[in-house]
Amino acid sequence: MKVIIFEDQKYDNLYPLTYLRPVFELKCGHTNLRMKIQRLLGNASYYFFMREYLAPVFGKILGSDKVNQLAALKNDDLLLINGRLLAIDFKITTDGPEEAAFCDDQLVYARLKKSSIAKMNFTNLDEFLDGIQSLLPRKNINATLIDYPWNLIQNNGKAIIDDFNHLADKGIHGELSPQAAIVGDKNLVHLAPGAIVRPFVTLDTTNGPILLEKNVTIHPYSHIEGPHALGEKSQVFGGNIREGSAIGPVCRIRGEIEESIIHGYSNKHHDGFLGHAYLGEWVNLGAFTTNSDLKNDYTSVQLYVKGELVDSQDLKVGSFIGDHTKTSIGTLMTTGSIVGIMSNVIFAGSLISKFVPSFCWFINNHATKGFGYRHMVETAAKAMARRKVQLTPEDEAMLKTVFEMTKEERSFWIKKGFQS
Amino acid sequence: MTVAERVKNVVARQLKVKLEDIKPESDFVKDLGADSMASIELVAAFEAEFDIEMDEDAALSVKTVGKAGEFIQHIVDQQQ
Repeated sequence: MKVIIFEDQKYDNLYPLTYLRPVFELKCGHTNLRMKIQRLLGNASYYFFMREYLAPVFGKILGSDKVNQLAALKNDDLLLINGRLLAIDFKITTDGPEEAAFCDDQLVYARLKKSSIAKMNFTNLDEFLDGIQSLLPRKNINATLIDYPWNLIQNNGKAIIDDFNHLADKGIHGELSPQAAIVGDKNLVHLAPGAIVRPFVTLDTTNGPILLEKNVTIHPYSHIEGPHALGEKSQVFGGNIREGSAIGPVCRIRGEIEESIIHGYSNKHHDGFLGHAYLGEWVNLGAFTTNSDLKNDYTSVQLYVKGELVDSQDLKVGSFIGDHTKTSIGTLMTTGSIVGIMSNVIFAGSLISKFVPSFCWFINNHATKGFGYRHMVETAAKAMARRKVQLTPEDEAMLKTVFEMTKEERSFWIKKGFQS
Repeated sequence: MTVAERVKNVVARQLKVKLEDIKPESDFVKDLGADSMASIELVAAFEAEFDIEMDEDAALSVKTVGKAGEFIQHIVDQQQ
């Protein structure tokens, strides 16, 4: 039996967060969607399908012989799982009858035998998925599939709690200062070996657990409310980290944060509010960058998805910021803003608009090309080198692909901003 | 309107200077006060005005209004 975790065609609903990663590498809680599926199924032979331009980078992480291998679909029993599945409160086993399980007409998983596969003709994953849907008995189930970026935020708190509950060795293993206070149940704090909590820190577990990974440091005058998860080697330099945030690894954090997800190597190192927001990797928020996550008329927040405004049906939605993007000091982000990857947002005295394209310098609320693609890649390489990470040729090729993919959109917004 | 005249109009609008103060020999930085951000915006405004694509490094290396007109004329001839 092989387990196949695949991206379906809805990956573009999740732009800009999925420009540089497959959907199943999106963080929700302390772990990403793939890790939750693997935790649910345990030891198995896993294979992964994703957009071709991502494969060289993620082949290095997941195993190049495990990524986009069409041969893996043949000569064995299979369990295929949609990579957008949030595998919390969900039951599935590798053993069981042949079936295709759907939620709201979207394939969640399919289980099929080698003998059935032998009858199929296919040349790619899409043809294979089409084939199994007509071949297998159909079953309707309840499942959580991540359809839009804000779904990750909506599920983050319970995902953190689930991650905490799956920890094997919970407890205070690191250094907890006697002058730090735990408010609520002490058993709901996990302080991994090497983690340090300095004096005058409060950890409040009243509403959920707090998971502090290896070698994190919580500096004085930090207040952290659970559910909360902080990844390895991250640091909190003070402020109010309110409930429902999952951050790290290797992040530097300060200020007020609520219900937000921050991927690794991103910094929000200064004061300012970040609420119901999602940051990719290598994002840097300048001092006093603040986002709105609630409209003053209490109506639901609309966001740009594939060039069209979509109603989130949610009153609290913040900003979604793609990998490698940086904001200047004092940047103010409007409710439900989408900011692409590799951009530079420069504050100009007013809220930035709801959409900022990828690979641009956003100046005076207009998109521009800045100093160009080469300069942006050099900046990314410099930022990564500061954390002793190399921008590889595979990373560069991936960036170049997305730069070309987003060219038309960028040109549209540049011209829109400068039409006389 | 000629390319040179349209260039002057864009410069006046973007850098908020009077048209009569803009000469072909006017240096964007020394005479018209364009800092690096304003220069980037000026390039974007030229692209929107003429519906062209310019190489950023080449465009940002142009120093004067007159040279910008020549540079843009060359690109317009190539791209249209």
